[in-house]
Amino acid sequence: MALQKYTFRIQRSIPVQGGGVQTKWQDFPVESEPNVTVLTLLEEIKGQQDGTLVFRQSCRSAICGSCAMWISGRTRLACKTHVGAVAKNGVVEIAPQKNQPVLKDLAIDIRPFFKRVHGITPYLLDGPEQNSTVTKSAYDQVNHVTQCILCGACYSDCTMAEVSPAFVGPAALAKAFRFVSDPREGRKSQRLADLCQPSAIWSCTRCTMCVDVCPKEVAPMEAIVKLRTRAMARGYTGSAGAKHALAFHEDIRRGGHLNEFTLMMRTLGIWETLKETGTALHLAKKGKVPSPFPHTVAGVEELRRMYDHLEQFPIEVETKAKEAVPE
Amino acid sequence: MSLEFAFYPGCAAQQVQKEADWAARAVCQELGIILHSMPRASCCGAVSLRETKPAFSLAVAARILSEAEAMGKDLVTICNTCLQTLTHANHRFQNEPELLEKINSVLRDAGVRPYGATIKTHHLLWVVTDQVDPKVLQAKIIRPLKGLRVAPFHGCHNLRPAEIYEQQEGKEHHLNRLIRSMGGVPVDYPDQERCCGFHVMLSDKKEVHEMSAKNCLSAKAAGAQVMITPCTLCDMVMGSMQEMAEKTIQKPIQLPEMSFSQLLGLTMGIPADRLGISRLHINPAVVLTTVGL
Repeated sequence: MALQKYTFRIQRSIPVQGGGVQTKWQDFPVESEPNVTVLTLLEEIKGQQDGTLVFRQSCRSAICGSCAMWISGRTRLACKTHVGAVAKNGVVEIAPQKNQPVLKDLAIDIRPFFKRVHGITPYLLDGPEQNSTVTKSAYDQVNHVTQCILCGACYSDCTMAEVSPAFVGPAALAKAFRFVSDPREGRKSQRLADLCQPSAIWSCTRCTMCVDVCPKEVAPMEAIVKLRTRAMARGYTGSAGAKHALAFHEDIRRGGHLNEFTLMMRTLGIWETLKETGTALHLAKKGKVPSPFPHTVAGVEELRRMYDHLEQFPIEVETKAKEAVPE
Repeated sequence: MSLEFAFYPGCAAQQVQKEADWAARAVCQELGIILHSMPRASCCGAVSLRETKPAFSLAVAARILSEAEAMGKDLVTICNTCLQTLTHANHRFQNEPELLEKINSVLRDAGVRPYGATIKTHHLLWVVTDQVDPKVLQAKIIRPLKGLRVAPFHGCHNLRPAEIYEQQEGKEHHLNRLIRSMGGVPVDYPDQERCCGFHVMLSDKKEVHEMSAKNCLSAKAAGAQVMITPCTLCDMVMGSMQEMAEKTIQKPIQLPEMSFSQLLGLTMGIPADRLGISRLHINPAVVLTTVGL
């Protein structure tokens, strides 16, 4: 393949006295075939154009997670990203990971991210729910989350972490799912109860961004959805998020449609709903008041029979992870 | 060839965001797209039902898809979350025959027609940009936007996860293509593929306001005069609730926001009242009059 001309537009940051960094964008011209990795070209820039450029890298094989950085709109591993796939009109924009403090240029302080991972107690605990028999199928739910290399890409692009520094974040929650699902774990229920606290599983927007950006197909949001299922199945239904989710279930059974009129009351309770009167009046200004008696769908008795059937004869439908094979 | 679909507007478009439903029907009438109602279709359950009762969620989706299949039509929707929920279920049914059979046995037992996994799910936006003859679309746009700077806000659930959608790699986003067809300029801004926060609006209100404010302000900073979305839920947060977000962040935003089919309807000369323009909280009149709309 012929050589192409690219511009690497790199966000440079220099620490300033008193904390923080000073930031500017700098362009570096490079020539390369499209199937060369961004990491190789960053090394070329460092070696031939500007030795002061700082970035992290180690394994070059998408296994150490060091070179996760923001490349053309998403956080990606520089070693796994071909320049031709991310250049827009020949320009590749590169910045450090988001949602984390920048140390210099593309190097971020990864400690806040690791602190969240440590926060979910990432090791097995002794306890009453421990099971010493581990069947092969026990790995069905664990395999995809154990692929995580802790690169931080999902946390960097997480839409909730961006506005909520308290949010535990996708990688840590995926890891929590790994422990909740491990037969050898002794405190599964306690873990689920802890995960129902604010800024954890119920604060995920389900925007699916983490599924999109994960370079190892961990699908953190799927793990979060499964954690919610397990938490509710064990009776942890007190959070606003759980009450909201359960409301859908009730409404479909009752009439088929969501009752948006009573949804807020059922999610937040009467007291919190009264505090939201302003919001309701604001919507009402433009006639946006849902009917308290939504129309019942034709054949609603079919839905009830489906529900009854499934309550009597539950079926297993959870997605299983692919067998973990080394790349 | 006529374009006919089973129309699944979703709960929000039948209640709070009715204007999205009105506008979708109005533009379809102009473009010769026939939308058939689905009287039996229930709420899709969104991810909420999937996380509460995973098997129920698939059975509910199968019943909806089966109704469209019995009509001999693909399903079309105007809500990103309905689209993701039904496409996710459909993707599983089409790739996991054993799962489909398990769910169909529940349907049969409840007296519901089993689902053959033969139909596709579409967003109305995709139909307009991919299936309507571009010449027909262009001929209908009689009041073009004359270079109006329009921010596309794509929303999450019609883009992700890539696994369930046919790959769009290298293709320009549907909204951007529509904006160009309407004679507008799509605004390129960093937050266009982010999240409006709708699904945690009740539990994490402050964070959702910050999210939507950030998205709108980033579009404005890039020069947007108006924002359009393909999703009734994004419309609710980014449009109807924008002034609530302003209160939280204590900064004015005032970016007119509407459903893609409302703006498309205006460029087609459809009267504003049929498109529910007066139901928008941020009045777009000031901006739209500059281009004669």
